[in-house]
Amino acid sequence: MAVARRILDGAAEPSYLTGGGLLGWLTTVDHKRIAVLYGLTALVFFLVGGVEALLLRVQLARPDNTFLAAGTYNELFTMHGTTMIFLVVMPLELGLFTNFAVPLLIGARDVAFPRLNALSYWVFLAGAIFLHASFFFGGAPDAGWFGYANLTERYFSPGTNLDFWVVGLLILGTSTLMSGINFGVTIVNMRAPGMTFMRMPMFVWTMLVTVALVLLAFPALTVGLILLLMDRFYGTHFYVATVGASPVLWQHLFWLFGHPEVYIMALPAFGIASEVIPVFSRKPLYGYPMMAYSTALIGFLSYGVWGHHMFAVGMGPAADSAFAVTSMLIAIPTGIKIFTWIATMWGGQLSMTTAFLFSVGLVFEFTIGGLSGIMHAAVPIDLQQTDSYFVVAHLHYVLFGGSVFGLFSGLYYWWPKITGRLLDERLGRLHFWLTMVGFNGTFFPMHFLGAEGMPRRIYRYAPGMGWETWNLVATVSAFILGISVAVLLVNIWRTLRRGLPAGNDPWDGRTLEWWIPSPPPEHNFVRLPVVRARDPFWGLKYGPQAPASRPTLEPAPPDTIHPPSGSFFPIVLAAGLLLAGIGAVTRLAVVAIGFGVAVLAVVGFAFERPAFGEDESGEIAAAGVDNRKLGIWAFIGSESIFFASLISTYLIYKGRSVTGPGPQQILEVPLTSFSTFVLLMSSLLMVLALAAIQRGAERSSRRWLLGTAGLGLVFLAGQAYEFTHFYHEGLALQTNLFSQTFYTLVGFHGAHVTIGVLWLVALAAASFAGKLPARSSLAVELCGIYWHFVDIVWIVIFTLVYLLEGVSGA
Amino acid sequence: MSRGIVVALATVLGGCRTAEPPMTTFAPKSDFAEWTYSLYLQVIGWDSFILVLVGLLLVLALFRYSTRALGKSETPPVSRERVELEVAWTVGPALVLIAIAIPTIRTTFRAAPAVAPAGALHVDVTAHQWWWEVRYPDLAVLTANEIHLPVGRPVRLELRSADVIHSFWVPQLGGKRDVVPGHPNAITLVPRVVGMYLGQCAEFCGLSHANMRFRVFVDSPDDFQAWVAHQATPGVMPVASEDLVTAGARLYATSPCVTCHAINGVSSGRLGPDLTHFATRTTFAGGTLANTPENLGAWLRDPESEKPGAQMPRLGLPPAQVSELVAYLGSLR
Repeated sequence: MAVARRILDGAAEPSYLTGGGLLGWLTTVDHKRIAVLYGLTALVFFLVGGVEALLLRVQLARPDNTFLAAGTYNELFTMHGTTMIFLVVMPLELGLFTNFAVPLLIGARDVAFPRLNALSYWVFLAGAIFLHASFFFGGAPDAGWFGYANLTERYFSPGTNLDFWVVGLLILGTSTLMSGINFGVTIVNMRAPGMTFMRMPMFVWTMLVTVALVLLAFPALTVGLILLLMDRFYGTHFYVATVGASPVLWQHLFWLFGHPEVYIMALPAFGIASEVIPVFSRKPLYGYPMMAYSTALIGFLSYGVWGHHMFAVGMGPAADSAFAVTSMLIAIPTGIKIFTWIATMWGGQLSMTTAFLFSVGLVFEFTIGGLSGIMHAAVPIDLQQTDSYFVVAHLHYVLFGGSVFGLFSGLYYWWPKITGRLLDERLGRLHFWLTMVGFNGTFFPMHFLGAEGMPRRIYRYAPGMGWETWNLVATVSAFILGISVAVLLVNIWRTLRRGLPAGNDPWDGRTLEWWIPSPPPEHNFVRLPVVRARDPFWGLKYGPQAPASRPTLEPAPPDTIHPPSGSFFPIVLAAGLLLAGIGAVTRLAVVAIGFGVAVLAVVGFAFERPAFGEDESGEIAAAGVDNRKLGIWAFIGSESIFFASLISTYLIYKGRSVTGPGPQQILEVPLTSFSTFVLLMSSLLMVLALAAIQRGAERSSRRWLLGTAGLGLVFLAGQAYEFTHFYHEGLALQTNLFSQTFYTLVGFHGAHVTIGVLWLVALAAASFAGKLPARSSLAVELCGIYWHFVDIVWIVIFTLVYLLEGVSGA
Repeated sequence: MSRGIVVALATVLGGCRTAEPPMTTFAPKSDFAEWTYSLYLQVIGWDSFILVLVGLLLVLALFRYSTRALGKSETPPVSRERVELEVAWTVGPALVLIAIAIPTIRTTFRAAPAVAPAGALHVDVTAHQWWWEVRYPDLAVLTANEIHLPVGRPVRLELRSADVIHSFWVPQLGGKRDVVPGHPNAITLVPRVVGMYLGQCAEFCGLSHANMRFRVFVDSPDDFQAWVAHQATPGVMPVASEDLVTAGARLYATSPCVTCHAINGVSSGRLGPDLTHFATRTTFAGGTLANTPENLGAWLRDPESEKPGAQMPRLGLPPAQVSELVAYLGSLR
């Protein structure tokens, strides 16, 4: 607290850090404050995850060691992975750096949805707390961060450990998805005038591709987790071989998420390096267009390589070879980046600041990680190396040597802007060199251990295997790594209290964030910049005399700046979700209460007067589309992957049920055709509702809105009838593969229709209360987009599940 | 010669040991392992070249272009962008990757034939938490945690799981294959060198994943025949007398052991390993303990302490009875 006061007092003028007290921080919707909250939380979990790793290393320092029991070891390695990925790297990259820097880099005053931003943080905190509560209530998750079925079934993992894992990850995934929508819309829509895509800073490019990956990959994990949840709580058998299912389905769903996930972790670090290296080389980023395209290409290709995590599963040599080729292909755009960074430094004037050292370290360490990755892409080699310490080495070289080095680089680079003070460079250099020694000493020997046959995820190993020496080296080096982190903490502690004031531009920077004070005022820019070239701030300082490439300022006077109003609903909603999670591992009633709280918070959220950013999006809507409309489209994108995963599961398990009844015996196509027709007609009414409100016919619009809702209810009634009818015909949820995939798919669709009906009724109610005039037609349009999407999903489901069954013979 | 350099480098980096680690992947003893090792040498060659190139460029750039201080007053350097360079570092790596992809695909297909080669020996391996059941379907042999193979003859190992996903890995005989319930997998290889090779489960499978080990003995054809012949015999029945072995036999036959274990002519439990020829095996308890009377006694007294989560319960027997069982099990040749 005293430190906080010291920072706040030290700021020369009011900044985003001052004012509001504790309540101000709890209700903040300022992207910079939210970034600081994320940063502090993630830093705490970095220490937790690091201690877990050190404990593992102590156990492995000697053969047949008894420092940790087998069960404890398994919990620790599971939580180490889960924590580092979901509670450290992703929150730092998205929650801290994207949140803080992207609006500044693009010349905006905040993100597109400030309250959603706050909600992302509080839900993240709720998920983190929930996951770690497991240590105190029955034991932490212990089936690995990747949780392979069918070890994760209730039969083989009877405790609550994995219940905490499944529910915790679902909560965390929600938070990440919201961040994805928020940052995606921000980058597309809120760039300063003149900042085209090809003029944006490279970090913004990498974050744009990253959020696309978030939106289109997380839903696969969500579906995998939901199916596991159903197996563990509701007696289904999505991953159990005896009923015709396959544990390999989990692997496909998990890695369809998991591989884009590692690029979600790598790309932001690449973006940071692409900011830091040019600044400290005093040269622009080499080959900007190729960097941008290669980033997009990596994002695209990352969806085609997931099988390389499954070479040992036995997909067959054709599938294995295809994934080998795609995995090698993705090395090409990555290689382009490595050479580009070197070319940027070449011929420059390099300043060996700590930020620069860590970025250079990233280039080297990620090269090693990428090269060992190429070995893994060669299937026969992978069959020796996978599930051994070789792959542990590989993953740490790319995730620590890549992501964490990038995060350290970003920390030293943006720290002055965030806090107004410089970190000590001598301590920084000590941190860097200790990291180099500790990191390489820990993980390089693991290549040898893997090559010498040491499997991974083992709590002990026998003497006489030749593994003692390198394990000891790795353990000692891991403690050096721990010391390096301590050095960083000392640096932070000392400079927060009496570090040198940074000033606006301590690094002779190139981008817009260095044009404003450190720390920035709450509204970032008094007058928004108008950009004419890349590296606009550099152009201002050193550009040619002609103004062609120099940025100017918008003529808008300062009094149009509305400070964002804080909101209670994010923290309340997050508390509701936490309560629901607690209910999942205790009693169902608590789940209901939790969701109830969450729903009330959503309603409050919806009717609250929005923060300024959401009102003024029209002024700088670079894509020409309102923020909220872009947001709903982003959401629809992720929902498409959600339903695609459920539909794929249905199709994969089609015809594999071991007992009946099957679809042919039980589906009634004529009846469902009627309810399908009703749902399609509801879309027509929706169109009429939107047309009505756009021309100001409020009464008409209300009628059509209620009509749409009514037809939706008819559809739902049809579904309810269908489900109860099937149940009486002997098709319960757990009966066979058909029943569980059918009920899950159609059930989730029905839930989406239900939410749509509630939304429609709420709009109608708002209209009755006179709160939905013609100029608020966007609210109806958003609901319309959602409603039409849900309809289209039903058309796909109806075709694949009902019609194909009626047409095909078997 | 380049192969020799890489091998030398690998040895040096591997810690200058004269004795090779028993589970090393660098000592191929089967055709499958040899193809893999040869591919490995090619790829590590390319990888080393690229790493040295990138490292040198980085070091060169750092030393040549670093400045002492942030020279704000100096004119910033000009960036000269050359398309040829960008083309080179796109096409170059692509060519290297093609050079790697071709042998990769070839070896992948070669190592995974759809059907067993003619004359192959069939071995059915069933993975359990946390031990390996081994059955020779054509030879009426059933054992656990130990596989015997004749040198020079193709073998097809069929892998099945009784519970969760495991992975079968004998590094010196080649890469691993997951053992997936409901998804039988197979490994086909020809062992080339007589010897004993260590294997271990390589897919996290629960509490005692680390304790799920096994051994593969590649025998000369004669030794293999002798082993098969012995394993196929009905097993030793103790001659009636008052010694420990007979007492142990009587104890076994009337204890809960029979629910889980099978001994030919005595019991037919299928949950744990078959014990008919227990004394011919070099290890037990998932390959983690050498088959000695001391270890056996410790195991019988407290299985959980050796293998956390072991399904074998503590029998709570007085020491005298433990000795009887140890003697009996030691007689099961």
